[in-house]
Amino acid sequence: MEVPFAASARALMRPATAFTEPLPPLGRALVRMLAVWVPLALVDALIMVWRALQAYGQLRQSGPPDWLERLSGADPEVLWEVFRTLPAPPTFGRIWPWLLLIVPIGVLGTWIHHAVWDHTGLWLLGGLKGRRGFRTTLVAEAEVLRIAALGTLIGLLGFVPILGTVLSLPLMLLAGYLWLFRGFALAARHGCEPWRGVGATVVHAVLLGTCALGLAVMVLMLLRTAP
Amino acid sequence: MRRVPWIALGSLALALGVWLAGFLAPFAGFLPGCAFKRFTGIACATCGLTRSILALGQGHWREALHWYPALALLAGAAPVAALWDLRRAWRGEPYPALPASRALRFGAWLLLAGIWALQVARGI
Repeated sequence: MEVPFAASARALMRPATAFTEPLPPLGRALVRMLAVWVPLALVDALIMVWRALQAYGQLRQSGPPDWLERLSGADPEVLWEVFRTLPAPPTFGRIWPWLLLIVPIGVLGTWIHHAVWDHTGLWLLGGLKGRRGFRTTLVAEAEVLRIAALGTLIGLLGFVPILGTVLSLPLMLLAGYLWLFRGFALAARHGCEPWRGVGATVVHAVLLGTCALGLAVMVLMLLRTAP
Repeated sequence: MRRVPWIALGSLALALGVWLAGFLAPFAGFLPGCAFKRFTGIACATCGLTRSILALGQGHWREALHWYPALALLAGAAPVAALWDLRRAWRGEPYPALPASRALRFGAWLLLAGIWALQVARGI
């Protein structure tokens, strides 16, 4: 019996030869992606929300951190007043059932988002020569996101106290690699050179991610390394 | 066979997101700002986008146009694109493939560079 995620690990280590099998039907690729990624994303979201609620509760009690006072440039007394009047956080028990709905929608939304922008990036770099259309991109993204779910599993280590802080840089590098890894699937499935596929993911990041992604990474890092 | 109007649905979802973002406008001062601009001193390609989205969410079109003209124009054109998509879906036509023309691709790159240059030149 093969170790779970062994095939994903092999694909991540040999991206150039990871997508040589015939293109699966869209439905099968999608179901396989959801079956692997949704449970992991759910665990990730549950821990993250729990940590966020804890951090929020501490913030209400201890007031604004120094860096926020410096960054915002706001009057410290006004900032303190804002933090004192923050409403009490909802209990974890009230939030987690919603995650059962939100996480699958988020996973599907991420899949479609990546497909739209990577497809556009691939077109901008002249990688759609094979005329294999958007459906091919959707399948490629579903395949690659199923493999990249291994990153979500490894990313859970980021929540472990101390270890999470130590691993924050390697995990960021892994996240970066997983982003570019999508390009190999795009290139293989559209029959273009790997640099165009990888370039498409870079174009995607530059076009849309400059601000939003940077902000999201910063918030995630704060949540993961919060005491 | 009827088809799903993905562009119309996506536009609707984005419009909802922008409207909700409008409620975050009072907290805009807490956002860390653009790291690229902080390091280089010049605007990045998406500088002004957040402020434009917040302005759009409050229905301040002129302000949105000032912060990121491309977004305001895109938002203005979204209903037209949504109507085209609804018509396409109703007729059961597939989406047309993106044109293979090198000139069009080059034009798209120029447009993107132009948007960035505009933001830099205006000191956003």
